[in-house]
Amino acid sequence: MYYFSIFFQYAAQYLKTRMSYREDLVVELISDLLFQAVNLIFILVVFGHTTLLNGWNREEIIFIYGFFLVPYAIFSSFFNIWDFNERYIVKGEMDRILTRPIHSLFQIIIERMELESMFGVVTGLVIMFYAGSQLGLTLHWYDPFVFLLMVIGGAFIYAGIFICLAAISFWSDSKTDIMPMMYNIGNYGRYPVDIYNQVIRFVLTWILPFAFVGVYPAAFFLGRTEWYGYAFLTPVMGVVFLTIAYFMWNAGVKKYRGAGN
Amino acid sequence: MNVIEVEGLRKEFKSYSSRSGLKGAFRDLFTRNYKTLRAVDDISLHVKQGEMVGYIGENGAGKSTTIKMLTGILTPTAGNVTVNGMNPHKEREKFVRTIGVVFGQRSQLWWDIAVQESFRLLKKVYKVSDEEYETHMKEVIRTLEIEPLLDKPVRKLSLGQRMRCELAAALIHNPPLLFLDEPTIGLDVLVKMKIRGFLKEINRKYKTTILLTTHDLADIEALCDRVVLLDEGKIIYDGRLDELQKNWVEGKQVHFEFQHPVDKPALEEISREYPVIWRQGERVNQWVATIDGEDDTVSKLMSVVMLHHAISDVKLNKVSTEEIIRNIYEEGIKHG
Ligand SMILES: Nc1ncnc2c1ncn2[C@@H]1O[C@H](COP(=O)(O)OP(=O)(O)OP(=O)(O)O)[C@@H](O)[C@H]1O
Ligand SMILES: [Mg+2]
Repeated sequence: MYYFSIFFQYAAQYLKTRMSYREDLVVELISDLLFQAVNLIFILVVFGHTTLLNGWNREEIIFIYGFFLVPYAIFSSFFNIWDFNERYIVKGEMDRILTRPIHSLFQIIIERMELESMFGVVTGLVIMFYAGSQLGLTLHWYDPFVFLLMVIGGAFIYAGIFICLAAISFWSDSKTDIMPMMYNIGNYGRYPVDIYNQVIRFVLTWILPFAFVGVYPAAFFLGRTEWYGYAFLTPVMGVVFLTIAYFMWNAGVKKYRGAGN
Repeated sequence: MNVIEVEGLRKEFKSYSSRSGLKGAFRDLFTRNYKTLRAVDDISLHVKQGEMVGYIGENGAGKSTTIKMLTGILTPTAGNVTVNGMNPHKEREKFVRTIGVVFGQRSQLWWDIAVQESFRLLKKVYKVSDEEYETHMKEVIRTLEIEPLLDKPVRKLSLGQRMRCELAAALIHNPPLLFLDEPTIGLDVLVKMKIRGFLKEINRKYKTTILLTTHDLADIEALCDRVVLLDEGKIIYDGRLDELQKNWVEGKQVHFEFQHPVDKPALEEISREYPVIWRQGERVNQWVATIDGEDDTVSKLMSVVMLHHAISDVKLNKVSTEEIIRNIYEEGIKHG
């Protein structure tokens, strides 16, 4: 309850600050929309000529991409921890976090949220509805609920992986390029995993399970029954990965050395 | 009851050094060389409620590291810490509600938002009721004279203005214990005096316990009855400030400015009959003699020195606290 109220306080403050820089906000919204549009055009161009890719047709691939955008948007709204090492460890901002009576990870989430990334949800839904109608998919009463569960699972997986990466900084604050690399790997989850070889498929399923953010859950809505098992694992994987990340974070905080002056 | 109870507290930092060359880099992959630095070395400390303790020491003595362990930011390597009856890093979230922290080198406030918005968020974070906030913070804001700053974003404040706001922010929940790490760093004399006055006031009114580090001994003289002196991670003095002054030297200090370069052995040679310590002064050819003795000795020393070396200026001072502390840093405690 306390955490909810604090979350809303921070969110309100965030919006208030954003509103007061109105020009910036407008520019950013426009560039965000442009970015999404370019993404969409890219997809249409790339898949424009392929009609079938390993048994997946063009609309299905577009649908998967649309689905992927939704958990990804939630992840990027709340888990801006790609610069955690720089910002909190090297600069010692973690000191301040640790003197406040809120769980440190939660504080970083609410401090660094970027709510405008939520627009990705809209883009994702538009794409899904477009592709869905092309495919003649029908909406069942339970679909919205399953969708919510899958989206949360996907966002948790993303969050879990990136929290683990951020937590590594507690042990070693040397600079690595692992974060940008991981963003790239994350993109592989947007495409059907069976187009990759066995090893990559295994990695994307069990090690860095980005496939659970795109193909697997989307397969459920596409009625691809052969993937249902994986599809329903999505929320489970989400919870497992976030839990691992949480414990790893807590262990890391104990190792925090602070920044020497 | 003791607010702070520290027994055998120690913090070690490991720093890795890399070997040179490709071969070295390869070996580093398997076994890394590291050095262990003991930043805080088995200290014990007890502080009672309502005390104002000055925690002093040279750069790198381990002051900030101690404070970070007492506030739950760092996990100690060894030792027991109980602050406000709790183990700081074990029950961190519950514990930090009972303390206030200010790091002079670092801002606690949100950079882009107005000061009062920061206060409002912190009020929610610390679950301070409207009534408590009204009665307590009104007073704090008035005493620190920050009313006109409240609607400005922190990034637009001067250092002195910001620091007063930082102090106010640390007191939103009216904590019984306050840790201040260099709260007066870089401030002008007027702001320093304002802050000292304010700290005295809250200590008197709420019996707030305060542990502060500073490099300005005037802060300590104005505020603290008790000083804890830290050197290379060890406590070398813990007691009253006036005892320290009394036990050290009640001597005098003579600043000689010579016309020609002079070296230490030469000075020591001519003054070997007197209880004197020589130190290079700030200016060229300036030497400072600290003498532990009667006025008579002082005048004898002065005449001996002037007999051997031509001087351009000479000044006679009483030893300041600053000087005492400096001597202790340089030579360790032996008179005290
Ligand atoms: N995160 C860290 N990693 C490695 N060494 C550190 C770290 N923090 C502090 N140290 C070392 O520990 C020692 C004590 O540092 P500390 O910051 O506690 O000193 P201090 O007394 O606060 O000094 P100052 O007066 O300069 O603030 C120093 O030698 C410092 O280099
Ligand atoms: Mg320090």
